[in-house]
Amino acid sequence: MNEKAAADGAARLATPPSVRRFGLVNWRGVWTLYQREVKRFLKVFTQTICAPIITTLLFYTIFSIALHDRVRVVSDVPFVVFLAPGLIMMAILQNSFQNCSSSIMVAKVQGNIVDVLMPPMSPLELICGYLGGGVTRGILVGSVTTIVMTVVAGFPFHDVGAILYFGIAASAMLCLLGMIGGIWAEKFDHMAAITNFVIVPLSFLSGTFYSIGRLPELWQTIAHLNPFFYAIDGFRYGFIGQADSPIWLGMLVLAGIDVVLFLIVHRMLVTGYKLKS
Amino acid sequence: MNARVPHEPVLGGAPSARRFGAVNWRGLATFFLREMQRGFKIWKITLAAPAIRALLFASVFGLAIDRPDAMMAGMPFLEFLVPGLVAVVALERAFESSSFSIVYDKTEGIFADLSMLPLTPGEIVLGYAAATVAGSLVVAAVVWAALLVFGSGLPHAPLSLLFFISVGSLMVGLFSQISGLWSRKWDYIISVQTFIFMPFVFLSGVFFSLGELSEDARAIAHLNPVFYVVDGIRYGLTGYGEADLYLAAAVSLGVVAVLWIGAYRLFAIGYRFKS
Repeated sequence: MNEKAAADGAARLATPPSVRRFGLVNWRGVWTLYQREVKRFLKVFTQTICAPIITTLLFYTIFSIALHDRVRVVSDVPFVVFLAPGLIMMAILQNSFQNCSSSIMVAKVQGNIVDVLMPPMSPLELICGYLGGGVTRGILVGSVTTIVMTVVAGFPFHDVGAILYFGIAASAMLCLLGMIGGIWAEKFDHMAAITNFVIVPLSFLSGTFYSIGRLPELWQTIAHLNPFFYAIDGFRYGFIGQADSPIWLGMLVLAGIDVVLFLIVHRMLVTGYKLKS
Repeated sequence: MNARVPHEPVLGGAPSARRFGAVNWRGLATFFLREMQRGFKIWKITLAAPAIRALLFASVFGLAIDRPDAMMAGMPFLEFLVPGLVAVVALERAFESSSFSIVYDKTEGIFADLSMLPLTPGEIVLGYAAATVAGSLVVAAVVWAALLVFGSGLPHAPLSLLFFISVGSLMVGLFSQISGLWSRKWDYIISVQTFIFMPFVFLSGVFFSLGELSEDARAIAHLNPVFYVVDGIRYGLTGYGEADLYLAAAVSLGVVAVLWIGAYRLFAIGYRFKS
């Protein structure tokens, strides 16, 4: 037997493992939580990636058949091209929300939320980990759907920067909303209520299927109060180059909402609202 | 104080087994009630949510179509759409009622208890099926009532409507029993729902007339049994049908018979629950 190796082994046993040091940010912690979040949805990718893609394509097909020559949208854009970005954005919104909300919700119900709260991670780092996972899923679903639709229907890319900005900002918005929902909800029932009565109505009435500019005055005002409208409007601008409201306004609104939601989640995690009691 | 005769427990003799004839009616009724209660205990998800969704769909289509002359199959678009929405919610409920109940029991590890009940496979299939049809009829009625604000009038042929909603939810309900038995986990049943059930329903002409399709696509769509159900429901509500009513009824009943035999066989051999 190698004497040196034996001595090394003995030395290792004698000294306890040292505490891992990290600087201002626990990068490894954030990276680990992010990986956990991504693996969580990839493990059931038929449900989390394939299903939303198929559903979106299905909706695209039926709405195109049902509405194509019955709706006048914006002057020179065919309805099928107008519709596609909205549906992609709806998929991004719903999946980002689901990822963050279900992750926290399931952990709470199963009681393993402590495994996330115990590690040496600040609220900011926790948010980044969850946010990263949710945005990854949203963007993954959005990208694949975009690619398939481009191949099938073929539509223009007017401004890739706007597509990316609105895709990511809207995904982050819904992730943060999902985290708030996940922390607040005590049962799956509560979560289903938020999805069915808040998220689905806001995304349906956001201008995916029609141009807000063609609505009556009152409906236009209401639509402008819906943050999902700016997400879809800006995202669509990225493709077709036309929008119902100024792009800079949409960018500001989404950024503002993201910051506010971020502060709320941060506050919840700092105070341990419904998490530590 | 008046003297009350206390209720005397029967002391003589052990409790005897309950006897029943060819069909265990009380067992069947209990099973049916359990399934119904399961479905409607979470009525916010099973009743309110579909109603909201149907209203949203109708609003979205109503807002999207800004031309008053937009027609589908010769009638105003929303009038055409309402039966489709009623059909979708009824069939969605039908798919979720038995399969989700079965998969839930499976993940809880109590599904095998079914084989210990004094119920025959035929009674179990009937119990699930009856609860499915009853649940779908309730949801369909609620959604139809909610859609009255969009000017859907009274049904044109109430009996046909009742028949096609029942047969349609029976068809989907039996398919859902088979899918539930096949599913080992939630993943499986969600896949069946997304990759088989939803395409069959949404491409069956719920939101558009098959006249909108090309010749070839229409021929394929006619092979979809759900089309006949939706068409029958639309006839019942509006009086407009694309297929022959008797053909629709025959196809639906034929598919129900095949699925019923299939579901019965699987319960009889204890597919994926007695092993």
